[in-house]
Amino acid sequence: MDAITMRVNGATCTGSPEARKTLADFLRDDLNLTGTHIGCEHGVCGACTVIVDGRAVRSCLMLAVQAAGTEVTTVEGLAPDGGLGPLQQAMWDSHSFQCGFCTPGFVMQATAFLSDHPDADEQQIREALSGNICRCTGYQSIVDGVLLAAQRNRQAQP
Amino acid sequence: MAAIAAERYTGASIKRSEDPRILTGAGRYVDDIKLPGMLHAAFVRSPMAHARVLSVDVSAARELPGVVAAFTGADMEAMTVPGPDALMALMGWAGPMPEFTLLATDKVRFVGDPVAIVVAESRYLAEDGCELVEVDYEDLPPVVDAAFALDPASPPLFANLGDNIARPHARSEFGDVSATFAGADLVTDFHIDVHRHQNVPMEGRGCVASFDAGQGVMTIYAATQSVHVTKIAVAMRLGMEQDKVRAVAGDIGGSFGLKIGASREELAAAAASRHVGRPVKWVEDRGENLSASGQAREESFDVRAAVSNDGDLLGLDVKMVIDTGSYPGMGAMVPGIVEAMFPGPYKLAALGFESTAVTTNKACYVAYRGPWASETFVRERVLDLIAKDLGLDPFEIRLRNAAPRTDPPASMITGRPLVGVTTLEALERVAQLVDFPAFRRRQAEARAEGRYLGIGVATFIEAAPGPRTPEAGSGPMGNEFMRLQLTEDGIVVLFTGQMPHGQSHQTTLAQIAADEFGVPFEQVRVVVGDTDVVPFGLTGGSRSATMTGGVALHGARQLKAKVLDFAAHLMEVSPQDLLITDGNVWVRGDPATAIAVSEVARRAASGPFDGDVDAKLEVEAAFDGGEGGWSGGTHCAIVDVDVETGIVTVERYVAAEDCGALINPAVVEGQIRGGVAQGIGAVLLERSAYAEDGSFQSATFMDYLMPTACDVPRIEIEHLETVPLDADVNFRGVGEGGMIVAPPTVVNAIEDALSPFGVRIYEQHLPPARILELIAAADLGG
Repeated sequence: MDAITMRVNGATCTGSPEARKTLADFLRDDLNLTGTHIGCEHGVCGACTVIVDGRAVRSCLMLAVQAAGTEVTTVEGLAPDGGLGPLQQAMWDSHSFQCGFCTPGFVMQATAFLSDHPDADEQQIREALSGNICRCTGYQSIVDGVLLAAQRNRQAQP
Repeated sequence: MAAIAAERYTGASIKRSEDPRILTGAGRYVDDIKLPGMLHAAFVRSPMAHARVLSVDVSAARELPGVVAAFTGADMEAMTVPGPDALMALMGWAGPMPEFTLLATDKVRFVGDPVAIVVAESRYLAEDGCELVEVDYEDLPPVVDAAFALDPASPPLFANLGDNIARPHARSEFGDVSATFAGADLVTDFHIDVHRHQNVPMEGRGCVASFDAGQGVMTIYAATQSVHVTKIAVAMRLGMEQDKVRAVAGDIGGSFGLKIGASREELAAAAASRHVGRPVKWVEDRGENLSASGQAREESFDVRAAVSNDGDLLGLDVKMVIDTGSYPGMGAMVPGIVEAMFPGPYKLAALGFESTAVTTNKACYVAYRGPWASETFVRERVLDLIAKDLGLDPFEIRLRNAAPRTDPPASMITGRPLVGVTTLEALERVAQLVDFPAFRRRQAEARAEGRYLGIGVATFIEAAPGPRTPEAGSGPMGNEFMRLQLTEDGIVVLFTGQMPHGQSHQTTLAQIAADEFGVPFEQVRVVVGDTDVVPFGLTGGSRSATMTGGVALHGARQLKAKVLDFAAHLMEVSPQDLLITDGNVWVRGDPATAIAVSEVARRAASGPFDGDVDAKLEVEAAFDGGEGGWSGGTHCAIVDVDVETGIVTVERYVAAEDCGALINPAVVEGQIRGGVAQGIGAVLLERSAYAEDGSFQSATFMDYLMPTACDVPRIEIEHLETVPLDADVNFRGVGEGGMIVAPPTVVNAIEDALSPFGVRIYEQHLPPARILELIAAADLGG
């Protein structure tokens, strides 16, 4: 097991994970970033979604060693000091979630999507989120949170 | 009645206290727990549906570096105390009790049945160890359907039962069944099946068990709907005194009925932890969750309906068979609830009901959101089928048969009075929201273009908690308890046995207590999830809105009285002259006298006081549900069925609902939408699939399909004005209703869409292939 280095939430992290260890497990176990959740380990539910080099990826389908030398952002890294970023605030205001287990995956997926598609409409948002499964909400409140975040972002533009 | 006055927090969509941690990844779920020296467990599981276990050899696993222990079923029996399923025992089950071991010893009974446990330094190594365990099986004929299970020739799953009957055949009659049927204009028979599907919370089952040998105390960190039930289950199986077991839970990633008590795997992990002397974590993966955690709803019904030519549903005679899978769960208890609820909110004059529960080589039948929901599915399907037979409109037939609200109230023929039901109001509101005639015109135009739209309606009631009954009181679904305390800092703390797993109790209960006591929302804290600290409680059966909302309201009132008595002593006035508003105690009419609640609390904590002054600002409250009441509603779906592909799109979904007074409308609406989504999933996507040999075919999300954001439409929710029954507590439960009524709503719409083909639907699972089969069979005149 050779040591690998990556930047996670802006900090340089090193570790020596086994080759077979997933990025999700590495983040949770080795780096104690338990915000990223594991829902299926086969890339369907999206609970493990993180951002690697600017793209949303399923960390359960990625090996930790594949993330060597990359910039990784997890849900813990979205806002400083445990505060709430604008998307998280909009989701709070929209009552987006219930049990919270799917939440980090949705937050990361929506973060990546909105940064590339700030003017997405409801249908586009639903399609972008269709790879994240929520069992509690029926999705409407989550979509509303993303729509609200996008709307506030547009209003904030000078 | 003053009950539903405008109040500060109650009735408002207050933002959740839970969300700041949920949204930032700071929730604490059981897999987030790390203890020093913690080990990880994995299970060797049977690939056979039914087999004798001839030998289990864990020696190679034990040799693997990183593996600390491996135990067979026999090893596990030596470490634990045999006994019945804890939940069934708690619920007072008096029927057949299968004898079973935590890990399979002499036989395995379903694909996924745990056979051995391997404990290692990591989950990866534990699974490596599992691959080295050698098990010798001798195949036995699998019992994979109820028909074979009912056959005395089927090999019994449990030797002590001697057959595969989990609950023997029983029949009850309500009203004069034979006379009702003899006098009917029309008697029709239907056979209706509901398919096996399951809870699928996003977080599976799991625990961390930690035994302190020095103190002899087992701490179990659990994902559970009741820390107290988990504690009792662990104490029973490990042969420990209950005060030596502590169950703790943090955030829980959904459950929907799955996580109650302690599963065989959790008990095995706890026993392993005690034996090994180190904490042991077991968290199931999705394959285990789908194949082994338990499933629900596999029920079949032969229904005979007695009807008048004008569409009166006079009587029903129902034969139910429920497939309860292998190990004991909730299945054997479901028929009793189905029977009691079968009449629904209708004027049914007679009901004959008989049921049998069977055991089969499948995962056990667990509670799944509205476990008795088949009664609504079957009844609402039958109403549509009868309407078609008689040439009547399905909406009109419901208006005709719904029991009007009378004083004194009419009763369901099975006994419970229909106090305060708003069924007719719900039906009428749906008719206002959905222009049926306009839809029928659009439907006709679409048909001319080869597009098939359909509309479906279904109505339900749920005993959440149901009207007051004298005999309710004790047991896990009896009275609700709460301890309330005003701390030295002036915080009102509510200690409840409720175990929220998405229900937002830490917000809703604080809203109620803040209003009743008179402090800001931020000055109330709700404590859950520790058997050392909270009273007994269980989150389930949609009880918490009434039972816990009620005990919070009355408890806050009692605590306030105590605080005012003490404040009156401080302020040298009579307690009747004092108010608490916005966190201040003051003399009515004289705001200058205001003292902060926190100051009163500080003074109370800094005694001593004279003997007649009670400065202990704490109460223990109990609530029996008050007048209780029904929840219910009417749902309506408009669907578009593509007859080339079989794909069904839910174009519009409307819910008129009555769950009493709303504590937090956003929370209520979230519960309804989530339940409806599960109902849509059940009809269009989800099936727990077993092959004829008992092998399991839906162990991944590529096979067990879940509804996504593209499958669930915007759900329009109308809150009906409720009928207050109680002077104070008119909150009623809403957690299960959506899942109970959505399946028949959607199926009724699909049948309506396909009526040009003459399709009749007697089942609940309608994926594209099945839609095409139904159309083809109807085309052939089948």
